Amino acid sequence: MSEEVVLRMGVPVLNEDGHEVGTLEKLVFSETERKITELVVRDLASLKRIMISQVRSIFPHSITLARHGTLETLPVFDPTEFEEVPTWFFPPGYQIEIGSLVTLKPADIREMGEDAACSRREFMARTTAVVAGLIGISLVVPIGGYVLAAAKTKISDHWVPLSVSINQLPMDSPVSHTFRAVSVSGWMRVPVERTVWLIRHSSPEDPMSLPADEKLGLDSELEKQFSTPLLTVLSPICPHLGCSPQWIDDRKRFICPCHHSIYELNGNRVSGPAPRPMDSLPVKVGKDGDISILYEQFAIGIPKKVRLA
Amino acid sequence: MKQKGESKLLKYLDERIRLRSLMSFLLDEPIPGGARWAYVFGSMVLFTLILQFLTGIMLAFYYGGTPDHAWDSVNYIDHLSFGGMGVGRLIRGLHYWGASMMVILVGVHLLQVFLWGAYKKPREIMWLVGVVLLALTMTAAFTGYLLPWDERAYWGTIVGTNMIGLVPIVGPILKSAIRGGVGLGALTLSHFFTIHTMVLPSMFILFVVFHLVIFRRIGPAGPYKGDPLALEARKEFFYPRQVLMDAMGMLAIFLVIAGLSLLRPPGLESVANPSNSSYSPTPAWYFDWIFQLLKMIRPEILGVVGLPALIGIVLVLLPFVDKRPERSPFRRPVAVLVTMVVLGAMMTLSVQAERGFKKLVSLEPRSVARGKLVFRQSGCIGCHTVNGQGGHIGPDLSEEGLVGHSEHWLVVQFVQSAAHFPHSPMPSFSYLKPDQLHDLAQYVSSLGRTGWPDPTK
Repeated sequence: MSEEVVLRMGVPVLNEDGHEVGTLEKLVFSETERKITELVVRDLASLKRIMISQVRSIFPHSITLARHGTLETLPVFDPTEFEEVPTWFFPPGYQIEIGSLVTLKPADIREMGEDAACSRREFMARTTAVVAGLIGISLVVPIGGYVLAAAKTKISDHWVPLSVSINQLPMDSPVSHTFRAVSVSGWMRVPVERTVWLIRHSSPEDPMSLPADEKLGLDSELEKQFSTPLLTVLSPICPHLGCSPQWIDDRKRFICPCHHSIYELNGNRVSGPAPRPMDSLPVKVGKDGDISILYEQFAIGIPKKVRLA
Repeated sequence: MKQKGESKLLKYLDERIRLRSLMSFLLDEPIPGGARWAYVFGSMVLFTLILQFLTGIMLAFYYGGTPDHAWDSVNYIDHLSFGGMGVGRLIRGLHYWGASMMVILVGVHLLQVFLWGAYKKPREIMWLVGVVLLALTMTAAFTGYLLPWDERAYWGTIVGTNMIGLVPIVGPILKSAIRGGVGLGALTLSHFFTIHTMVLPSMFILFVVFHLVIFRRIGPAGPYKGDPLALEARKEFFYPRQVLMDAMGMLAIFLVIAGLSLLRPPGLESVANPSNSSYSPTPAWYFDWIFQLLKMIRPEILGVVGLPALIGIVLVLLPFVDKRPERSPFRRPVAVLVTMVVLGAMMTLSVQAERGFKKLVSLEPRSVARGKLVFRQSGCIGCHTVNGQGGHIGPDLSEEGLVGHSEHWLVVQFVQSAAHFPHSPMPSFSYLKPDQLHDLAQYVSSLGRTGWPDPTK
């Protein structure tokens, strides 16, 4: 197209006799032919479609048709048959002046075989999604494993020999025993001090020689296997919220200073908010009275005794 | 846009955040002349940058940025596994090879913009932002090099920061400021870690946003030839064809990076040892050509300061000096010729530099394991120390693999030490079979390079 055509929305559309029959409302652009094929003109009744071949002249101020009479006989414009496109979609040579932002192209691709046209676009969209998914999954899986790798570090059962003999312990009275241990933290081995309660029992018949959590059946196989009526080892961590219960000799009770959970000598909860008895730990007593324990930590705040990794 | 089949979620979001017009703004970007494979490089650079962000964050999860932890934490990462998959080494591999690929892609992107004349008016500012992004990429590569705190990292950074110290007037103070003192130490590492993980990423985000905003404001340059009207007629949306092409490009580069990470995972040399006088540092491959050029230019100051300054000045001034609107490389012979010469020179220098480096013996893990047995059975430990254990009659072999002796040299050393050291008291191990000598040489070459204890066990 050599000369520019100006299509100004809303300009009057005249018939061959010079009478105004309507105003320019929209343009119909054929995507396959890459040109404007029809005008949409608003007359008194509705929107009408006029083939571009029936247009005699187009000026910025008016459009003249090559036909007489009104537009009554022309086909009515049905917006559902068309799709909207932006103005730059029109081929060069047409100057579309924005009076109406609405320009339309016919769904001619649909007539030619909508399935073919749409499935191509759809195909590209789906392929993109598959490619993105591939990259995403192959990143998310190792990253997830990487994040969980440290959390899933195996629990190593490490027996700690205590520097105390059972014969040195007082009968039926808890002793707070501190020992050195190594805490593994990532690549670091950090030396730490830990404390446990050691309770030597005078008689295996004494009901206090059976830890309350064992009696309630909370213990794991490991804890059941390494348990002795001679000695109870209690974790210093209150199963309520992790404070440290203290032995009050006058009352013969463990009392947690934080929320006043009160326990008996065998860890049995007498009162207070704690959900379970104090946790007993696996213990081995040698022939000559030497003690070794397995220091475990458990989830706090729940009725079950769940070992932490 | 399809009206049917749209999900309720889409409708909900559209009512609240105007999702549809946002998507249309992002996806319906007009591309003059239509979608092309030639346009994928910018997206590929962006993809590698995002990959670096992701894997970098992951590495920072387990990294300890002090000299007494850095090496151990990297070794810990290397040994992290999940369900039998060496995820730690894979993530580090992705970050390591992602860096190399990003440097290559930034280079290709820059080269393409230059050859296609896409930096010319009105895209001068976008070009300048791109030059800043190039500088950020190289700085990221340089600062990341130190973080594993192994021999290579330590000595590479000694040289790199010494070069900064040669800058006239401000050099010495700049060097001390970067190092956080006279020598390399805890402050150098935390400075580099902070620059690498905080300063650079925020600047990357800022300048990538600049780059993209300008790109969308001014539009893509399009092909360098063709009638504007014809290009206008073939105009296409960014979505779906260009998006698909970009996605394919990203998949390709991801496959390359992942493949390299699995087949050639990055190594970890022995922990930085400031008293090791035999170590010969080598730069990362993308600095090879500068390394080689610095050997030739005298005085050093000219190469160290002049070269980067020259590159910077040329890149910054280019769009303001070259103002001719002609974009086709076929009608800009001088520009293309200069590019060819510079590229050729860079490649030749890099090859020369690589040839000059001492080649370390390539290791076969099984042979190394057998060699370790030979080492023990032959009583080598009686005279030599390895990782703190052994005798003191012979030299400490803890970092022997980094010295760069060839396998032949090592075998001669085992059989006839006097050939290298006339007064050597080392006995001859000529009774070893050729296979055993090979395995022993492999094991000795691995010392200081592999076989670190697994801290996760």
